[in-house]
Parts: sequence; C-alpha cells; structure tokens
Amino acid sequence: MSTVLELKNVSKSFGGLRAVRAASFTMNQGEILFVIGPNGAGKTTVFNLISGFLHPDEGSILFAGHDISRLAPHQTARLGIGRTFQIVKPLSSLTVLENVMLGAFMHTPSPHRAEERADKILDFLEMSRWRNFQARGLPLAALKRLEIARAMATQPKLILLDEVVSGLTTGEALALAQLIQRLPEWGVGVVGGVEHVMQVVMKIAHRVVVLDYGAKIAEGAPAEVVKMPAVIEAYLGPKYREMAK
Amino acid sequence: MKRWRLWLLIAVVIACACLPFITQNDYQVRILFRIAIFAALGLAWNLVGGFAGQLSLGHAAFFGLGAYGLAIFTARGVPMWISLLLAALVATLFAAAIGRIAFRLRGPYFTLATIAFAEVLRLTATNLEITGGAIGLDVPTLFAGRSFIRMMYFAAVILALITFLINFATSRSRPGYYLMAIREDEDTASAVGIDTASYKLRALLISAFITALGGALYASSSQHIVPDDAFAMEISVQIAIIAMLGGAGTLAGPVAGAVLLLTASEVFKNQFREGHLLIYGVLIVLVVLFLPDGIVGGLQRLLRRRNPPGSLPGSPDVQPEAGA
Repeated sequence: MSTVLELKNVSKSFGGLRAVRAASFTMNQGEILFVIGPNGAGKTTVFNLISGFLHPDEGSILFAGHDISRLAPHQTARLGIGRTFQIVKPLSSLTVLENVMLGAFMHTPSPHRAEERADKILDFLEMSRWRNFQARGLPLAALKRLEIARAMATQPKLILLDEVVSGLTTGEALALAQLIQRLPEWGVGVVGGVEHVMQVVMKIAHRVVVLDYGAKIAEGAPAEVVKMPAVIEAYLGPKYREMAK
Repeated sequence: MKRWRLWLLIAVVIACACLPFITQNDYQVRILFRIAIFAALGLAWNLVGGFAGQLSLGHAAFFGLGAYGLAIFTARGVPMWISLLLAALVATLFAAAIGRIAFRLRGPYFTLATIAFAEVLRLTATNLEITGGAIGLDVPTLFAGRSFIRMMYFAAVILALITFLINFATSRSRPGYYLMAIREDEDTASAVGIDTASYKLRALLISAFITALGGALYASSSQHIVPDDAFAMEISVQIAIIAMLGGAGTLAGPVAGAVLLLTASEVFKNQFREGHLLIYGVLIVLVVLFLPDGIVGGLQRLLRRRNPPGSLPGSPDVQPEAGA
C-alpha cells in the first residue's frame, strides 16, 4: 500500500499552549484511520493543520508527494483533501442538493453535471428524500451526513471526519459507521477523529492513532491499542482495563 | 429561464418602455428615472451584498467616482461616452484596491471599512481643486434636446436590464453558487476548494463598474455634483436598503425595493413634508422585523414547503434539534 498522507514531527502552539507536540503518523491509500484521544488532546488541531486552516510551527505534512504545510484550505481541497467540521457548518439557506453540488462544482462548471454527481452521493448516503429541503432545520444526524456528502462530492483522495458521530444516538452512529466503512469503495481514504464513541472505532477502523496532550502515545490496530497500558491510563479508563485482562 | 418568467420579463420591459409616453410631465419622468437608476444600483449591490453576503455600506464611493469621472474627463476634452467608460474603469480599479484590503475583514468590520473608504473619497473631493472643492463640478448632459430626461430614463432602464441579466446569469452558474457558499459560511466554502478572496473580489469589481455607470448617469441628469451628494453616506445606505427591503440575494428583490421605496418616499414627501423621513424609517424597521429576507425573499419562503420528511435509520422518532 502506498502512503497518501504523512505527518513528520508536526507541532503547533497557541500562545503558551502546545496543542500538538511532534506528532508523526502516516496514512495509506484506502485506509480508515482513526485519531482518538480525550477532549483537548489535539485532534481537531491536527485536522485543521492537514486541511490548511492552520499551519504547523514545526515539522511538515506531505500529501500525495506534495508538501502541504503552508497551503490555504482551498488549495488542500483542490489537491484532494475533503473535510467535515466538528460543529456542523451547513450552508443553511441552500437546499441539501445545492450544498452537495457546491462540492461537485470543483470538477465541473455545469450545474446539470454537478446535480447528477450530487444525486449519486445523496443516494449512497440515504439522503435523497431530503434533497430539496433547506439545510437549516435538518436534524443533527442528517447534517452530519450532509457534511460528508459535500466533502465526497469534491472527489477527494482523503476525507477528514472530525467528530463525525458526536451528538448522535448509538443507533444513528452505527448506521453512519456502516456507510463510512464503505467510503474506500469510492476511492476515498478516511481519517476520522473520535473522542469517546469507541464502539464505532472498534468496528470500522483499520488502524488507530492515540493522542494525549498533543503527543502520540500509541498506534496500531484497534484491538491491540485498547490493551496498551498507556492508552488505558490516559484515556479509556477502568472499563477497558477489565476487558484487557 | 422558465417560460412564464421570460414573458414576465418581456412584459415588464415593454411596460417600462411605454411609461414615459403616458405622462408628459418631466417631473414624473424624473421620478421614473430615479427608480430605474436605483433598481440598477440595487441589483449591482446585490452581487456583493446579496449573493456574496458582504454588507457594503460604501457603494457611494463607486457612485461618486463615476459621477466625478464623467465630469472631469469630459472637461478635459475626452468624448462623453468614452469618459463614461473611463469613469467606470477608474471606479473598478479603485474597487480592486479597496477589495484587497476590506475583504481581509469579516462581518461588521468589513462594513465599517467600506463606510470609511467612501468617507475618505468625500473628504478628498471636498478639498481638491480638480474636483471643484465643496462647490462641485458641472456635468454634461449625455443627451441633447427637449426629450433629454426621457432619454436618460431609457438609458437607466437599459442599465437596470443588463444588471438584472448579469444577476440572472450569476444565479444559475458556478460563480453564483460559490458566492452563496461564501455568504453562508466562508470556512465551508474554502473546504470545498473555493478561493473565497478571489470570488468576492470579482463580484465587487463588476458591482463597482455598474455602480459607477449609475452614478455617472445620475450626475448627468442633475447636471451638477457636489461631494456631499455624490459620495454621501445616504446614497450607500439607500442602495443597500433597496436591495435588502426587496430581498437581498433574490433577482426581483432589488427591483421591487427600488419601486416601493422611491414611490413611498415620493408620496410621503408630498403628503407629510419632513415627516416623510419618519414614516420611511418606520417602514424599514417593520420590514426588518417581520420580513428579514425582504419582500421577495419572504414570499419565496412562504411558497416553499418547510418540514423535512421522515427520519434516518437508527434515529429515534423524536428528532433532536439541529445545530446543537
């Protein structure tokens, strides 16, 4: 498998707070990688660094052979990095269809083609019946899917899903996880970030990176990572200590 | 364009063409001219303030540059119609410069910056010799003869029609969708690969060009300009209010806004003298309170179905509130 994304010793501070400390990890093509860690571990900062909303103080980020450390968000998007936002950011007064068409416009100026592309994605995400409704007023589960649909429409090589299941019921989260699991069929690699819905991570992640206070403390297959003492200590707590035994 | 809309547009254009022949009264034609000019200005503003959602309260800058440009270039022997074009180009260049600075700011800071730029121009025009200081300049009339104001009216209608068609083309194309995305959420817009700075600037350039043409026509109709009229804050505010009252981001909104606001202000001015400003103010407050999307925007919302159907797999029957 070829490496798509590589972070090399990436650090980022906000004033005196070191949000990310010398983090390094790689991601392979078509892989589903989850970055997990407690609240404040630096997951969202890592996503903002990869997608160009922030730039690293030290270290570099490589994507498909390019150094993207200094690129603006619209440039990383054009290279093939799609993203969703933890706090959903729908284009409220536009319809669901139009929201997704905006992503599709990256590859075609024709509204007709963009609509076709958007419809395919809405169909895949089981969102078709919401198609002509304004994004404002949709329930959270639908808004989370809308974020994914819009990012998928740009035909990314990699999609960053920041807290994609937070705020959902367990049922909604598992239904969404099944769809995320199928993203590699579309040629999309996934980097997900999750704070505490371990159920989803265990089920669909190929590999997991654990952050704590901005530093990587573990990496590996989900089943192995949850047994590591450092991870249990920092993050998972006694319930998993029992399971590890 | 849907067929009935095309016919409606043709009917409106024909009606506009016939109107000045119904009345022989120059004063009334002058009111029609003002309505047409402000419809064009509202539509031009709509590109930036409506589609892209960048609330400019400094469009008097472009209006005034167009007016002064026409006066200054023709006074130096440049043919009138070429002066008109040059004036609009100067305003566009100015827009490119201020856009680069002002678009770094978001929300109210952007609005304040646009006000400041227009004010700087007003003070500059008041103090320079080339602009005639506070006394101002004479502006040549673009048309000769007795039917001059009627010809000015037709020029204004053509400008409004062209601007309407630009709005229409924008609303149906990728750039229009991109501007709307920028209005709704700039972060989301850049996450789908939109160069937000570049698209906002392009919208402003087109808007400034048309606004300058409108300013030049307006100045030519009154034949004299002073800084306190051409670069007035009132002009900026009126342009913005016309678009917002009718419905910012809609196609018919700015036209409806211009017709309603200018007709109302004319009627109230005759009826209540100075009191008309009060009524004008109350009307605006009412619209902002009860029709935040403007008149056309409010109607569209009424016609649209509201409640999304059903729920997603795994969702409970009672949907959680969105955006929590």
